[in-house]
Amino acid sequence: MPGWFFIITRSLIFLLLLFITTKILGKKQISELSFFEYVAGITIGSIAGEVVTGLESNMYHGALAICVFGFITFLVNFLSIKSKKFSDLVEGKGTVVIKDGKILENNLKKEKYTIDELSALLRAKDIFRVADVEFAVLEPRGNLSALLKKENRPLTPKDLQMKMAKEKEPQTVIMDGNIMDEPLRCSGKGRGWLYTELEKQGVTLDNVFFGQVDSYGELTVDLYDDKIKVPQAAQRPLLLATLKKTQADLEIFSLSTDCDQSKAMYKKNAAIFEETIEKLAPFLNG
Amino acid sequence: MTVSSNVKQCLSTIKGIEAQLSSLALNSLDEEAKAVFHETALTMADVKKDLQYRVLELERQEPQYQGS
Repeated sequence: MPGWFFIITRSLIFLLLLFITTKILGKKQISELSFFEYVAGITIGSIAGEVVTGLESNMYHGALAICVFGFITFLVNFLSIKSKKFSDLVEGKGTVVIKDGKILENNLKKEKYTIDELSALLRAKDIFRVADVEFAVLEPRGNLSALLKKENRPLTPKDLQMKMAKEKEPQTVIMDGNIMDEPLRCSGKGRGWLYTELEKQGVTLDNVFFGQVDSYGELTVDLYDDKIKVPQAAQRPLLLATLKKTQADLEIFSLSTDCDQSKAMYKKNAAIFEETIEKLAPFLNG
Repeated sequence: MTVSSNVKQCLSTIKGIEAQLSSLALNSLDEEAKAVFHETALTMADVKKDLQYRVLELERQEPQYQGS
């Protein structure tokens, strides 16, 4: 048989073998988090390459080597889960290189990093001043994780003591004009609801390329025809505006009436409205 | 526009708000949002009652504007 035939069959067999090995080892193998996965990843790849093109070598030996590497990595992963000491030994621990804004030279030397390399890693994280860093660790994979000092961190709603509404993940309910039943059920809706919503927006199902339901049960759609404008879901901001308007109306009534009793009633309800608006604002904004 | 028609308009706006809040309470997925929407819908119902009473009072005082 000609050589190209062997190469094709071997390629197919080894591709399948590599696929199965990585599937068994899982996502961790793809991300090559620890030393073992790194080494196994490289070696398995080169063994496969060697065997596929080198027709003089024995195919079964190559397959055996891949299985051994795969099995050892699997075993190491398994033991790492069972024992912390073992995982520290094989996967390594992070090394603290910056603490309280000061570089720990000894640890840096131990990892054989120069100060230039460290500052390059910091710059990759958009940090140009070492003094801004509270704490930084060199991870076993060689990447750097840095914690900025509190005053240099980006501002969050928590810093401003703003109350934010919780959000559930949006569900994709329409793809390519087909209704996805499972996400629809996850969002607690049915097909009937979806048809009503589509009708409200004035579009047909087969014209919708993509549709998502957010945590407030609002449907946003993207159409095949990009020239058609779909009304934006503005129910909640509009409701907030209506609430504010009604509150102002109640205030006006309380000022314009002469009857003391109704004056008090209007005032009380205007106050209730104000409170309600405050309560609802995080949920109705945006 | 008379006072009574203004109050009536406000009343129907409040009814609309209440309905929208109830629908949001039913459609939201987050439990906290659901609770807040439900609670505020109930508050709206209380305000609605007060205003309804006031509308009746106004109609009694100015019978010529009844129904407008």
